[in-house]
Formats: sequence, C-alpha cells, structure tokens
Amino acid sequence: MTKEKMNKEKKGCSASEKTDRVLFYFRKEVWILLAVTITGILYNVGLAAGPWFEGQLVQCLCDILSRRRDAGDMLKLAAWYGAVIAFVQLMRFLKRLYVRKFANNTGKRMKMTIYRNLLHQDLMHRNAHQDEEAGAMMTRILADADACAEGMRKFTTEVFDTGVVMVAYLGMLLTYDVRLTLLSMIFPPAACLLAEKLKVLVTRNAALSRESSARLNSATLERVTHGLTYRLYGRERGCEKAYEADLTDYEKKAVRANIWENAMQPVYQVISMISSVLILWFGAQNVLGNGWVSWDVAAFTTFFACYLKLAVKASKVAKLFNAVQKARVSWNRIRPWLGEPARDPLLRKICSADLSVRSLTFSFPGQKPLFSQVSFQAEPGEIIGITGEIACGKSTLGKLFLGEFPYEGEILLGGKRLSGDGKAFETCTGYLGHQPELFSGTIEENICLGEPGDVWPVLRAVCMEAEVKALPRGIHTVIGSGGVRLSGGQQARIALARTLYFRKPLLVLDDPFSAVDPGTEEAMFSSLRIWGKESVILLISHRLAMFPQMDQVLWMENGRVTAGDHNLLMDTVPQYRRLFEAQRKETDEHEENRKK
Amino acid sequence: MKKTGRSDADGAVSSVAGCIRETVRRHRLMSLLLAAAIAGSVVLSLLPPLVLERIIDSLAEGKPIAFSAAAGYFLITAVSGLLDAGKETMITVFGQKATHQIRSAMSSKLRRLPSVYFIEKDPGVTVSRFVNDVNTIDSLFASGVISMAADVCRLAGILLVIFTRSLGLGILLAAVTPLLFRMTRVFQKRMLQAQMDGRAAVGRTSQQIPETLQNLRTIRTLRQENFMQKRYGDTIEEGFRAQERSNFYDAVYSPIIVTVSAILVGIVMAASARGGMWQTFFGMSAGTAAAMISYVGSFFGPLESIGMEIQNIQSAVAGVRRINEFLGEDERKMAETDGDTDFAENETGTHAAVSLRDICFRYKEEEPGILEDFSLEVQEGESVILAGRTGSGKSTVLRLIEGLYAPQSGTVRIFGKAPEEIPEEEKRRWMGCVEQQFHRIPGTVGEQVSMGDPQISRSQVEKALRTVGLWETVDQLPMGMDTPCTEKLFSQGQFQLLSIARAIAEDPKLLLLDEMTASLDAGTEEQVLAALEAAADRRTVISVSHRLNDMAMKKKARILVLQGEDEAE
Repeated sequence: MTKEKMNKEKKGCSASEKTDRVLFYFRKEVWILLAVTITGILYNVGLAAGPWFEGQLVQCLCDILSRRRDAGDMLKLAAWYGAVIAFVQLMRFLKRLYVRKFANNTGKRMKMTIYRNLLHQDLMHRNAHQDEEAGAMMTRILADADACAEGMRKFTTEVFDTGVVMVAYLGMLLTYDVRLTLLSMIFPPAACLLAEKLKVLVTRNAALSRESSARLNSATLERVTHGLTYRLYGRERGCEKAYEADLTDYEKKAVRANIWENAMQPVYQVISMISSVLILWFGAQNVLGNGWVSWDVAAFTTFFACYLKLAVKASKVAKLFNAVQKARVSWNRIRPWLGEPARDPLLRKICSADLSVRSLTFSFPGQKPLFSQVSFQAEPGEIIGITGEIACGKSTLGKLFLGEFPYEGEILLGGKRLSGDGKAFETCTGYLGHQPELFSGTIEENICLGEPGDVWPVLRAVCMEAEVKALPRGIHTVIGSGGVRLSGGQQARIALARTLYFRKPLLVLDDPFSAVDPGTEEAMFSSLRIWGKESVILLISHRLAMFPQMDQVLWMENGRVTAGDHNLLMDTVPQYRRLFEAQRKETDEHEENRKK
Repeated sequence: MKKTGRSDADGAVSSVAGCIRETVRRHRLMSLLLAAAIAGSVVLSLLPPLVLERIIDSLAEGKPIAFSAAAGYFLITAVSGLLDAGKETMITVFGQKATHQIRSAMSSKLRRLPSVYFIEKDPGVTVSRFVNDVNTIDSLFASGVISMAADVCRLAGILLVIFTRSLGLGILLAAVTPLLFRMTRVFQKRMLQAQMDGRAAVGRTSQQIPETLQNLRTIRTLRQENFMQKRYGDTIEEGFRAQERSNFYDAVYSPIIVTVSAILVGIVMAASARGGMWQTFFGMSAGTAAAMISYVGSFFGPLESIGMEIQNIQSAVAGVRRINEFLGEDERKMAETDGDTDFAENETGTHAAVSLRDICFRYKEEEPGILEDFSLEVQEGESVILAGRTGSGKSTVLRLIEGLYAPQSGTVRIFGKAPEEIPEEEKRRWMGCVEQQFHRIPGTVGEQVSMGDPQISRSQVEKALRTVGLWETVDQLPMGMDTPCTEKLFSQGQFQLLSIARAIAEDPKLLLLDEMTASLDAGTEEQVLAALEAAADRRTVISVSHRLNDMAMKKKARILVLQGEDEAE
C-alpha cells in the first residue's frame, strides 16, 4: 500500500508546478527531503544493528564464561556497540529534525497560500458566504493546513520508520531461519487485519462521542448564556434535568469510544505475541542442534529481540494509514484555497473626473429589480445626498459603484465604464460602509494601512485630533479587535479618516454620521467639502439634517429614484418633506429637553 | 478531609476532591478492581525478561528447555496485556464518572448562583470551566495521577529486579536516572513553553481571519492586500519559530535516551567480562545479560511518561483550582422546593399586587446606589409605567420584583410573598415577564412559548399565540408549533410577539414589561402594540417606559418618573 501511494506521487511529478498539488509541497523541500532520505535509510538499516550487537554481547559473555574468549574481546565489542548505536541515533536525530522542519515549512507555505486566496477571493463567492460562520470556517481550514502538513510528516517518517525498517528486520530474520520467520509472520498481519476490521467500530464510536460532546458543549453554552431567561421563567430545574441526561449520554459514549480506541491496543499486541511461543520453542531446538538450522545463543537472542521490535512496528502500520487518511480529508477541504489567485488590477493614479450614471438598473439574481432607470450626473466637488425609506436599496446602490455586483445601464467615471463583473473591486472608488472595518492595530495603522504619510490632517478633518491627542499613546494607541476599545462614534470617524486618507475620485459614504452628534456632523460635513474638492461624493443617509446643503439629492422609493436638489424635493416629493420635518421636530424637542 | 467535601441540603458537593470521593464511594468495587489491575499489570510486566533469562541460561549450558517455559512466556505477556487493557478501560470509566459528577455539581451550582453572576461573567469563561477545565481533570486520570502511580511502581519494580541480579547495573542506573529525569523535565518544560508560544501565535493568527473577511471590502478597494499579507505573515512566522524550537527538543530527546541506555549496557557487559571482583559486582550469566538488556530498554519509557504526567497534573491543578473557585461562589437565597405547593391557592385579595418598601440597592459594594429608600405599591389590576433616564433604575425595579436581584435593605412583596419564596415551578403563574430582547432557546416554536415546561399544555401555548396574534403564522408552518425554531423563521417583530406569548403562557396575574430594544418598522410596531394591549388585559402591569407602551397605556396608567436616587411621582 505504501508503494501504491508513492507511485501516485510519482505520477503527479509530470504535472506542472501548481500550488494545489501535494507534490508541489514535497518538491519545494527537496533538499530537506534528501537529508531525510539519507539519514532515514542510515538510521533504519542501522536499527537492525541493535539486536545483532545485543545477541553478540550475550554470546560473547557465554564464550568468556566458558573461557573461549577474553575480556578484551568484550571491551572491543561493547565499544563498537556504543559507537554504532550513538551514530545510528545521531542519524535518527537528524532525520527527526529535518522531517519536522519539512512539515513546519510546508504548513507555513500552505497557510500563506490559503491566506492569499482568501484576500483575493472572487467577490461573488464572498457575497454568497457572507456570514459570521465564514470566519469560523476559514479558521478551521487553516487548522486543516496544519493537519495536512502533519499528515505529510507522518507519511514521510513512516515510509522509513515502518517501511524501510520492517524490510530490514524481515531480511535479517530470514537470513537466520526462513521457516521460523514465515511461521512467526502469521500473527502480526492477523493482528493488523483485526485492527483494520475493527476500525469501522472505532471511527463510528469516536464520531458518536464527538457528536455527544458537541451537544453537551452547546447545552452548556445555552444554559449559561440564557441563564437569566431560564431563571425568569422558572425552568432551571428543568434545564438541570436535561443537562444531566446529556451528561449521562456523553459519559456512555466517551467510555465506549475510548475503549475501542485505546483498550484494544494491548489485545492486538497479545495476538502478535503468539509467535513468541513458536520462536522460543523452535529457536531453542535450533540452538540445541535438533532444529531446522543451527543457531548459537547470539542468533537466538538476536532473532527474538528483532521479532519483538518488528511486532511493535507492525502494530503501527494501521496508524500510518489512519494518518494518511485523515490528512487526505483535510487536504480535500483546503484544496480549493490552494490555487494561485487572480490579482486585482493594480491601483492606478486617477485624476478627478465627472460621474455620469445612465439608466442604472439592478436586481438580485432571480428577483424583481430593486431599482431601475436611475440617471444623474455630477462634477468633482459635488456632494450628492441619497436617501429613502428602510430597505429601498440605497446601500445596494452605493455598492454598485464599488463593482461588487453586476448591473445594467452605465456608470461612467471620466467617460470610462466602471467594472461590474463581480470579480474585483473598482480602483477609483473610496467606500465607507455601515461597518467601520477596523483592524486590531494602532490608530495610525488603521488609517494609512502601512502606507507612508501623516495622519493628523485627516484626523483633524473628522474632528478627532483633540481626542487622539488626549490618549496616552496618541496615534499609536492599539484599538483592539474590530476597534472595540473605541466608541461607535470614534470607530466611524477613524473609518472616515481612512477613506479620506486614500483620496479617490469617487467617494461612497454610507451613513457616515450615524453615530455622531449633530454638532460634529456639521463640522465633519464642512471638512468633506474641503477634502472632497476633487472628488464626487455620494452620501447615503437616513438623517436629513445636512441635506439642505447637498448639491443634489436622490430620493429612492419603490424602485424609482427622483433626483433634484433639497428645495425641489421638498416641493415635489411629499414623503421626503414629511421625513425631513419629522426629523427636525425631533431634533428641536431633543434640544429643548437638553436645555431643561 | 471531611470539611473540604462538605455537602449542602441538595446533596451537591462543593469541591473537586469531594466529587472524586463521592465517585469512589459510589463505585467502590470498580475502584478496587482498578487498583488490582494496576498492581497486576506492574508485576506481570516485570516477569517476561526473567523467563527469558531462564531459557537462555539453560540453552547456554546446552540443556533443552521445557515447552511450558515458552508457553509461560507467552501467557505472562498475554495476561499482562489483558490486564493493561482492563486498567485502561477502568481508568477511562472512572475518569468519566468523576467528571460527570463534577459537571453535575457545577450544573446544580448554576441554579444557586445569584443573577448578577450571569450578567457580569462572560458566558465563554463559564463554559470553559465546564468544558476545558473539567477536561483537564479527565486527563488527570487518564494520563496523570493513576498512570503515574503505575509508572512509578513499574520503575521501582525494574530497579528492584536489577538490583537483585546485578548490583553494579542497579547502582549505575540509580545514579543515571536522576540526571536523565532532570533532563527530561527541562526538555518537557521548554517544549511546553514553545508549544504555548505556538498556541498563542495560532490564536493571534486565527483572530486575523474573521477580521480579514469582515474588512475585505476596505482591503481590496484600497489595494492593501500586501499590508495584510505581511501582518499575517508575521504571526505565522511567530508560530513557525515556536514550532522550530519545540521540534528540536522533540527530535533530540529519544536519541539521547537510547544512546545512554546502549552505553550503560556496554559498560555493564564489558565490566562483567573482566572477571574477578568485577564479575561478582556486576555478576551476570548470559541469561541475566539478555534479561538486563531487555530491562534497561524498557526502563526509560516510564521515566519519560512520568515527566509528561507531572506536566498533566500541573495543568490539571490550575483547572481544579478554577473549578473549586466556581463551586465556592457565593450563593443566592432560594425557595425550598418541597415546601407548601398550595402557595398558588393563597388568598390574593388581602395584599397589594406588588409592594416595595424602603429599598436600597446597588450592584456592588463600591458602586454608587441605584435605588435609595425606594418605595412603590401597586394594587391588583393597576397599570404602572416606570419612566426616567438611562441608569435611573427602571429595569432594576423590575428585576427586584422578578426576584433576580435581592435588595441590600428593604422588602419586596408580591401578593404578600417575597419573590425568592415563590417555588420556581409556580413562578410563571404569578408573573409573566417580557425581556428586553427575545432569547431564542433551542427547540420548537411551541417550546419557545412553553420553555419546555411540561406543565404547559399545547392548548395553553396555542392560546398564548392567539392572544399575541401569531397563531395564524405559526399554524401555517410546515409542522405547526412543532417546527424547529431558527433565527430565520421569524422577523424581529414576530420574535417580539413570541416573547410576549412566552410571558403570558401560564396566565400570570402580574405582567412585567421591560424596555424592548429591537427596532421595528411601523407595521410591526402596530402588531406588537396590539399584542401588548391584549396581553395587558385584566392584568396588573408594570412596565418600563418605551415608545410602544407610551402609546398603549398612557391613557389609563400611573406614570412614575425615576430620577437617579430620588423618586418623584
């Protein structure tokens, strides 16, 4: 079976160098693998020296006791024994070290490839899997990469440690006594066969136990997270009873799985030890001169020691196949992420340009259009407000300028059509969405993302200069995962600062002011005026306080879009007017309350 | 010994040691068998080389061996193997029983914890007490205390046999062992450190994955893939380095051990061959030599295991301490369940529905008081709205009535009874609570309403769903109220309706409405409003002000404005 696997890998050789082939990773480490091969063969062939020397030592002692040899011979032999074993063990150390290095390098290489694929993934794929589980799934896939590398390590190790060494031992046994070897070779394979047959039971029970453990864990999480709810409705004792049932189930399944997995091991060993009776008996006949061949005591000891080691190795063959099997499952899971990803086109320097939108229509696959026939035009320096009722499609409209979804109609920036093939993001659009999309680095890193430059001007633009200066570590303050150590308003402003830092000819800002107070909103809006002189800004919001100052306003309702300026819409669109006035009233009331 | 494992009225045990003693007590026979299996497997594992010694010695003298010796060798190995299997099995069973016991104790502890615990402690932390910490105790049995005892016995046994056969080898081994053991521990500690560094790096790496996915739009539009790749590469590199360190120790350890044992064997053999005084000191026949080689080969296995076992025990000790802390948390005052169950039949007319007198409440000693000398009396059938700014204690008042919190001073009475005196199975007949947000529990739609309470019949669930106007929707589901309830089955507003149905399932006398946090569109808002009105009908209602019940009950309700510490009407 080992041979088969190796053949398969050889066949892979002829294929081109692709990162999604196992062979690629073996080939990348060809020098390390060469070292592993040399040390591996030396070690494993050398292993047979152990039992041989031990036999010779015992024989030598016999001879000395019967005065056929003297202590000098023994000293020589013992010195050789020590030296050879030390050399063999040195080889072993090198082999172990290199094979681990190989696995470590491979794991690193795979993980980097996966991450590159993750970064450059197809947008349509991303849109299809955009939930929290995606993160967890990817984390699992990285764990799979480690499992794969580990599987490759085990395979490489066992090719030598099991394959080569068993051949070496077997060869040695055969030279001593062919018939006895064949006779004693009946039992280890029988033990392997039994183990193989019982493997189904082992896996099934392990799976059952894992399921039960997962059930128990989620029951624990549920009990603790909703502890107060259960208390409120007097269900805590009920929970406890259900939990007890889960515990009992888990106990039963865990015990069963464990027995099949571990407690059976000694049984297999007992089976392969049946041969020891044969070896001791027939071997003794050989020594006494009435057996199949003639042995001395050294041969007897060597043969027996050799057999014991072989039996231990044989019991590990099944484990080797399990490791390869497991690695293959992991490999299949990570393989889609191991290709060479398509890169986005490089960032071009784009000068400011007019925006022209003509008959823009969009629908999600298989649904009726979310909006249709949207047309408007804008020049650099203009700010266009986009609003409408909840779920009118204004956020989706914003994303079209990013190239995230395919659309009908035309979006022209400086006369060039924006891509909408769902493969890559548009380069000339800056975007700020509902999520601030912050990283667990410093404030500075979050704004300039490793690009050189001064972040203070943009911090000033989003009214955060004083706040950041007040922090003990200033712009080098670490903001935690997703920016948790900042308030919602601060997160949004850092994100806006970043969008302004990477100045683009078209800026799409989806609800940038939702978490700031009216005063800050006004100040930030005037910064946008200054910073956006060379860009077209599309500002999507449900808060209309700034809308009177917009150059244009788009009102979206039932798939239709009305364009105009604030005053025009106040006159012609009653819903817009109602919304605007309702918000103003609320603000006034709020002000009054505050004064009181 | 007794005081650590003290038991309370429920028969629950308050420490890990207590749990283990309880397990031993309940499974006395198994514990005895386990001890016997360990002893048996240790003794039997010592015998095979001795048999081999006999065989070789007689062969060296040219005498034939008895077939019974060969068969005996096998039999001893076989029985020793089977005993090993038995030992493994019993350790597993025992470990599982003990962890079961510990988890049961922890589960019942949850019920006795004060409500503040659930608010303050991150659920993940508590869950990791149940899962990770108890698992370390499991490994404490499987590869800790018990196997260490077995390994120490085996080691001592081998040494003893060697001393009787070859004093010299015995002394050599006894001299080398402490050194090698020290080396083993140093290696293991360094490896553990490397592994922990590695794991920390892996943690940092995997944290970057969801972050990258969430922020992909920003990364891609700004073309900062290389920046991210570098960040990622740095943490991968950290893990790589840690792994390299651990690899070195891993690779070098067992070659050293094997070389040392080969050298020892060489020395002994050379010394025995010198004859004279040397030979009497190392005194060996050929058979003894073979046996000794075999013993030396198996001597270092247990040594390495003991090192690992010490490590397991150390990490389990931390787990044990954390579990004991959890089991030792302060407990809340609770109703005796087996008390008078005719509590529900109490005459209700004579008492106010709710009465709070001179309540002082703060969450923690050092924090400012939320309520100071607060009093409130609500008559049966009355409707009261609690208003006030965030932090003025509106929701706290509800939680005091619900019995989730206990005041530092003052009394809370519901129809004349203290909330903690209400047996839990009767609670929902007395008060129905609508939480700030709906908490979906695993199970069917019907179970969302009944909370899996067998006392609540299907018709009661149906009635509650009808009252809130959700019955038609539920009835149209593929399996009606037996449809498994998932996040996507209902809208935000419908879950809010479900929450109200849950509150009124057992037809409570008192309805407590907390502030609803879900944002609803206009249409749903109306539905929820109607449901609230239907639920409030003919009940005593205390609610926290929010836009819904503002509109619903302003007309007929008494409004109470809470202003921080003071209270005004």
